[in-house]
Order: sequence, then structure tokens, then C-alpha cells
Amino acid sequence: MREAIELRGLTRWYGKRRGVIDLEAGVHEGEVFGFLGPNGAGKTTTIRMLLGLIRPSSGSARVLGLDPWSQADTVHRQLAHLGSDPGYLGEMDAGSLLDYLGALRGLPKGSWRPIAERLELDPSVPVRKLSRGNRQKVGVVQVFMGRESLLVMDEPSTGLDPLMQREFLALVAEARGDGRTVFLSSHNLPEVERACDRMAIIREGRLVKIATVAALVGDHTRSVNLVLGRPAPDGAFALPGVTILSSTGQDVHLMVRGDVNPLLRRLGDLDVRDIAISTPDVEDLFFRYYEGTVAGSDGRPAAPGPGDAVAGEAVR
Amino acid sequence: MTGLTLRLELRRSRTLSVGLAVVVLVYGGLIAAVYPILLTNTAAIEDYMKLFPKEFMAAFGMTGSLADPGIFFTTYIASMLWPIVAATAAIVLASRPTGADAERGWADVCLATPLTRRRYLAAAIASQLLILGALALVTVLGVLAVGTLVGARFDGGRFLAAGGVMWLFGCAMAGVASLVTVITLSRGAAAAVTAGILIAMYLLNIIAQIQPGLAWLGGLSAFRYASVGTLIDTGTADWAGIGAFAVVAAIGWTASLVLFRRRDLLP
Repeated sequence: MREAIELRGLTRWYGKRRGVIDLEAGVHEGEVFGFLGPNGAGKTTTIRMLLGLIRPSSGSARVLGLDPWSQADTVHRQLAHLGSDPGYLGEMDAGSLLDYLGALRGLPKGSWRPIAERLELDPSVPVRKLSRGNRQKVGVVQVFMGRESLLVMDEPSTGLDPLMQREFLALVAEARGDGRTVFLSSHNLPEVERACDRMAIIREGRLVKIATVAALVGDHTRSVNLVLGRPAPDGAFALPGVTILSSTGQDVHLMVRGDVNPLLRRLGDLDVRDIAISTPDVEDLFFRYYEGTVAGSDGRPAAPGPGDAVAGEAVR
Repeated sequence: MTGLTLRLELRRSRTLSVGLAVVVLVYGGLIAAVYPILLTNTAAIEDYMKLFPKEFMAAFGMTGSLADPGIFFTTYIASMLWPIVAATAAIVLASRPTGADAERGWADVCLATPLTRRRYLAAAIASQLLILGALALVTVLGVLAVGTLVGARFDGGRFLAAGGVMWLFGCAMAGVASLVTVITLSRGAAAAVTAGILIAMYLLNIIAQIQPGLAWLGGLSAFRYASVGTLIDTGTADWAGIGAFAVVAAIGWTASLVLFRRRDLLP
């Protein structure tokens, strides 16, 4: 699979201040890649290097096989970008602004209209009079109005109401359906969970985990609450990865790590009246990485699980 | 693409351009309107002027009679109003693309498209050339128009030539402001440095006029070459000094283009 984005030891220092350190990752063509981290973790620094706005201190980035610094002109013909707080010109109305940005990308006038209608954006209002959410809609329209093969977005849904967030996720899904690559920097964890195929977690400038969302969620503990018709025999839950947290005979609370199939097969032998299985969401995982319960406190990656690739390895 | 960006730059500059044009038109028109009064009262005014030290008068460009159109124009417009107007326009316009727009994030929005850094900045430079030229022209035309209405015999050709010198002076300011902004990526720093240089040069010119022993300092001041009195009154000028304005502008803008292509755009 070809890589739309490749980071090889990508490092950026601002004098003595850390930007990002030794990032190693690859974003496959056609996938939606989430890039998670809190403010100051290095997300925007990474994106600025991908756009050729700043140079790495060491290491390299390749975007669509090109050097984003020396070949910025060519790279920019193939990507669309939305910054976390784009400094749109307040005196222009949204339609004129989008027409201008569309013209720079070689798009015909009014190309933005279909997306603007989906997002219920009024194009006649000057940008300075738009609410935070509506300004963000302008950014989302700007990204999706073209046909570029790579979309790079930094906190794209900030300020959008739930309906518009859903529409945004639909646009991302359509882009993926069209074979376009999406690089989505966010700290909106549910959004990343719903939108992304894979995600990376960045902490204090270092990548601590890269994995498919499914693997990240699947490799972790599930909570299983059972209501049984009659108490289970002794040793019924003596299975790999299964821990009994509490049992009152008919009510059993288990924690399961890893493969759930052995437990499901065992439950077939029992008189199960009710079952509730809850999986941790990405938010839980994210905070676990940030609290150092999975990754070390020095930011080193956790041991890889199935489907994982960790920072420091080439991710193909 | 450059044309598209140039049109946007001009559109964004409308308020500033129109505002400054109104200032130069109104002020220049009023000054031109009183010129006939100066002519009819020349003797009384010159008697009054004799109360001031000769060096003091020279410092403000009044090296001859205010009845001379060139001295008149230099005293009230070219050495006083125009440097303020041109500096305002030059600093605001030249510090916008790589200073104010970089600070607000608009530069990032544009430069993440196929618009190259060179074209982005070149469009801004072209807008500075056009707007400063338009302001210089409006300044001169305003004085000429009102002068004609009140019966002043101004030489249109020489006044237009003076307008050209004023334009080049403004371009030199913009070139310096553009270069300082690209180096600092800060509108505030560019404004402070450019205004500081201008004020220093203005003071140098005054000191050179007041202190004969320090007359050589005047050669370091742009204001010496921006004085268009001789050009209007005699048709001659220090073309080498005036050419220096064009050279400074060209160097400032060219260096800006080269440096801007190579430098990090820090958030």
C-alpha cells in the first residue's frame, strides 16, 4: 500500500523548546488517519511541516511522495488544508472568501455551494459576523469543495453543533469512499473513533502509539455483566484474560482482556438471562496513555498488541 | 493567480487608500488655495520669516521664498504631509502579507494552496507600488487642480515629476518595511523599525542644516533627496539621490522575496 504521508525521524525544535521529536509514521493512501493529542503536544507543528510552512530540524516528511518544503508547489496542488483557527478575512463574506480560495485551487466559481448547502452555511454574511461554529463551517466547506487527494485538517469540527458534526463525519466518510486520504488532527476523541481507520497518539512531542482504532479498542479490557438463571459452576470463568471482579451467584461481573471468543463459547453452556458488555471508548484509552498507565511516563510506547504499530517502527 | 491576489490586496486596501487620498486632497487643496494669498503678501511674510534663524528655516526646507512654487510645495507637502502619508501607507501595506496576515493565520490559509510564496508576496508588492503611485498622483493633482482654480501658475510637468520622486520615496519606505517584516514576521517590529529609521533620517537632515560642521550627515538622510523644491523651481534635481530611492526599494523587495521563500513561517 502506498503512503500518502511518511514521517521519518521527524523532529522540530524551536530553539530549546520542543516541537516534535523523532516522529515515525506512515499514513496509507485512502485511509482516514487520526492524530490525537492535547494542546501543545505537537500536532500543529507536525501539520506545518507537512504543509511546508516550516522545515524539520532533523528527519524528513514526504507528502504524496514529495518533499513538502522543496516541492511545496506540487504538494499544494494535491492537498486541501484546514487550520485549527484559520485567520479568514473578516471583511469578506463567506461566499467571496470561498470563491477566492477556490480560484487559487483552480476551482470554478461557486464550487463551494453544494457543501455549503449541506452544512447550512449562509454565504452572504461577512466572516467577522459569523459565530465560531459558522466560521468553522467555512473551513469545512473550504476543505471539501475541491477534489484534492489528501485532506489535512487540524481540529476541523471544533465549534460545530452535533448535527453538523454528523454531517462532517459523513463528508469524511465520502472522501474515504472516493479513495482520498484524510489526516485528521483532533482532540475530539469520539469523532476520531467514528471517523478514523487508524490513529496515532502524540504526547509531549513524541508518538506513543499508532494502531487501528479497532485494535486499540479491541486489545483492551471489556467489562462484562452477567445475570444468570442459576449460579455458574466453580471454575466456569477460569479462562485466559478473564478476571472475576464480583460474583453474587447469579450476578457476575467480569473483566476480559483480549480475545472474547473463549468467554462467549463458555456462556453458551450457561443459563444466561442478561448480558451487558461495554468496551472502552477511545477517550478512555487516550487518557490511559496520557496518565502513563499504558505508555511509560517517559513517553515510550507501550508493547504492541494485535494490529498495532508503535512509534519508532516503520508503519506500512 | 498573482492577479487574483493583487485584486484582493487592492480590495483590502480600499479604506486605507481612500482615507489617505482624502487627507492629501483636502490638505493639498487647502494649501494650494492659500498660495495666491502668499504671493500677494510675500514681502510681509518674508519680513516675518526673518525673525527665525536661517538654519532653522533651512531645516524645514524653506531655503528660498515661499512664493516659489517648489519651496511652497516642499514646505507644506513634500517634506511634511507626504512623508507621514507615505510612511503610513508603506508600513501598513508592506507589513500586512508577512506580518499581520502571518500573525492572524491568513498567510497559512493562502500558502497551503497552489499559490506560491513568491506570487503571494509579489502580489502584495505590486499593490504597494500601485497604491503609493496613486497617492502621489492624487497629492500632486489635487494641488494642481486647486492651484489652477485659484489662478496659481504651477508647472504641471514639474509637479508631476515631483510626484514621481515622492512615489519613489514611498516605495523605498515600503521596501524597507517589507524586508524588516519578512525578517521579523511581525507588523509591530516592522512598523517600529521603519518609523524609527525615518525619524532618525528626518533628525539627521535637520541637524545637518542647523550645524554646518555636521552638514555631511545630510547625505545620509533620505529627506535631503526627497526635497523636490529645486526640481519644481529649476527643473534640476539630484538624480543620483533620487535613484537611490529606487535602488533601496528594489533591494528591499527583492530581498523580501528571496528571504520569504526560504524562511520558516512560525506560528
